[in-house]
Amino acid sequence: MELTKNKQMMLTGNKAAAWGARLAGVDYVPAFPITPQTEIVETLSQWFADGHMNGKFTNMDSEHSMFMAAGAAAATGVRVFTASSSQGILYGLEALQTIAGWRVPLVLVNVSRALATPITLEPDHNDVLSLRDTGILQLHAETCQEVLDYILMAYRIAEDPEVCLPVLVNLDGFYLSFTREPVILPDEAEVRKFLPLFKPSQPVFQASQPMARASAVFGGGNYSYFKIQHHLAAQNVLTIYKKVAQEFGERFGRFYDAVERYRLDDAEYVFVMSNSFATKGKAAVQHLRKNGIKAGLLKLSLLRPFPSEIIGEALDHRSKVAVIDQNLAPGMGGIIYPEILKAVYRREDRPEHLLSVIGGLGGRDIQEGDFISILQRLDQDPGDDPLFLFDEKDLKQFDQLRQIAGFSREARVS
Amino acid sequence: MLRIRLHGRGGQGIKTASQILGTAAHLAGFQAQDFPLYGAERRGAPITAYARVSKNIVLERGAIAQPDILLIGDETLLSDPLASVTEGTESSTLIFINSRHPSPDLKKHYQLESLPVQLDISGLCQKYIQKPMILSTALAAVGVRLMGHIGLHHLLKAIRDELGQERLSADQLANNLKLAEEAFQKVPSFDLEFRKFDDGFSASHLVVLERRPPVDSVPVIFATGNMALRKTGNWRTHRPVIHYEECNGCAICYARCPEGDIRMDANEKPVIDYDHCKGCLICATECPKHAIEIIREVASWN
Repeated sequence: MELTKNKQMMLTGNKAAAWGARLAGVDYVPAFPITPQTEIVETLSQWFADGHMNGKFTNMDSEHSMFMAAGAAAATGVRVFTASSSQGILYGLEALQTIAGWRVPLVLVNVSRALATPITLEPDHNDVLSLRDTGILQLHAETCQEVLDYILMAYRIAEDPEVCLPVLVNLDGFYLSFTREPVILPDEAEVRKFLPLFKPSQPVFQASQPMARASAVFGGGNYSYFKIQHHLAAQNVLTIYKKVAQEFGERFGRFYDAVERYRLDDAEYVFVMSNSFATKGKAAVQHLRKNGIKAGLLKLSLLRPFPSEIIGEALDHRSKVAVIDQNLAPGMGGIIYPEILKAVYRREDRPEHLLSVIGGLGGRDIQEGDFISILQRLDQDPGDDPLFLFDEKDLKQFDQLRQIAGFSREARVS
Repeated sequence: MLRIRLHGRGGQGIKTASQILGTAAHLAGFQAQDFPLYGAERRGAPITAYARVSKNIVLERGAIAQPDILLIGDETLLSDPLASVTEGTESSTLIFINSRHPSPDLKKHYQLESLPVQLDISGLCQKYIQKPMILSTALAAVGVRLMGHIGLHHLLKAIRDELGQERLSADQLANNLKLAEEAFQKVPSFDLEFRKFDDGFSASHLVVLERRPPVDSVPVIFATGNMALRKTGNWRTHRPVIHYEECNGCAICYARCPEGDIRMDANEKPVIDYDHCKGCLICATECPKHAIEIIREVASWN
């Protein structure tokens, strides 16, 4: 299919990701399957085989080799795409941390799936947030359209001569990966104007131009220099992101700020959310508004670099804010919550109540009633303990499971 | 919004049916969303798929607890409590069952709140595509017709779009289109009203978990042999049947069964546990005497 004009069709999040890579005109895809990501590399493999995509698709022997190959290829100055999920990300973590320090541009997709143990297939964000401190930039998608659009924007950011970093685009397993919704496939020629074929301006591996990468350094000072530079490059993306998003919006009519302010203007209650469950938050906001409650939602899209200033400003004068973390750091709580605290801490007009909520673990649905429970808690003094979204139905279901598994305290403690 | 839930078994095209529905709605100018939940991800195991059709942007995600339309492709699921087919239905829910039994009998037998719509779409599938349990086209056609609001031409275009990706031959595609047309015309249209946002919702009953000792808080299984509680026999599409007069008791089927569902009895003859046999038919393939026959499962009641 030649895209000579915008075309809207029903696509899964995975297919939208594959289209993102195809429209970006990627040169190299190292791949390894894992549920719920497999449909992405399966689709790309077919497209390479059918001649819809030019370049090289290679099945690797593990995620570790895959990310290493992705980084190495990016160091030669070609456009690289790859994808993984959950345990695959963890298995490749050593490689990911390493290639981030190489300062090479590439785009990878993570399809969120909660981490073992216990093993599950459904999403939460402990997988993607295990990359939080690698220096890989992160964009989190709420819709299948955002998946595609963020991939195109991600290449512009990654390949910017001032950046040269991997960018990760995150989408939720099942809730986006296997869910079809209408997606606009942009015209290929327009995409090429926004994202020209990759011509690296930074030094790359080339014949007759010897160069070494991934060097070792002795002395903490030398090490510090490179790390601080990495941080400054990532911070600088806040400015570059704005420019790229502006240009994308002007060209395609879809504007993506680093955060989305959904009915925030006069909101008294704010839910801070990210990824596909933000859609549920928006529905709750609509419903609460119909019932006269001034609710709003702040959606986090750009997670790294963390847009503290933008978030702080968006939450000024909002008296009751709940940060819903779809992840859990045992012994600490939600991972994003302290980052939001940091964003508002120094501000005079910061929220009165900032509640930490933990929900959606392992794909546990966040239901309308949960948002009411959050409001009720916000109306009291929310305290320091997080509110866990776990209800009587969950407990009842769990009691059945524990019976089948044969564990009861009475039987075992003797 | 209209919420549609489809039930069937792995391999019956239930996910494709939801996609045809979604695409037909999208072509007809609606906002749509469709997706499957694969469950055990095995042929024959229960699978659920969903579609949402709306005039406005769909601000819902995940499973549909209270469907407006329930499309049941495989009647045997109604007898499987774990498949939870009728969960969340009310008397107003429009239920379709692929069955040869008349509607009043179905209502009585399965103790349904309302009279279901019935059509033997397996029969139609046999007639047009010679595959009685590949239900994607027919089930989608029934769904589109029951719902109303979407014309036959949009349905047919959606089938071309969706099955076109499956690399069907021109003949197979043409037969699917004929199948869709007949299924579409054989059921009535209800022109369902799009449900507005529900009026109220109340707080969920959150519980605060207390810390328990490790013996009661880590994912360990103490019960031995509890796999047997999950009766997977109804995943079978085909049943292996041993002809004992030809069986020499070599026990190869016993050794090869990946599920351990064949035991050797006191006379050194194999016995198949049909409560759990999933019908992989490795035993029939491996039997050196060709003493195991393959019979198609036809589940019904009288």
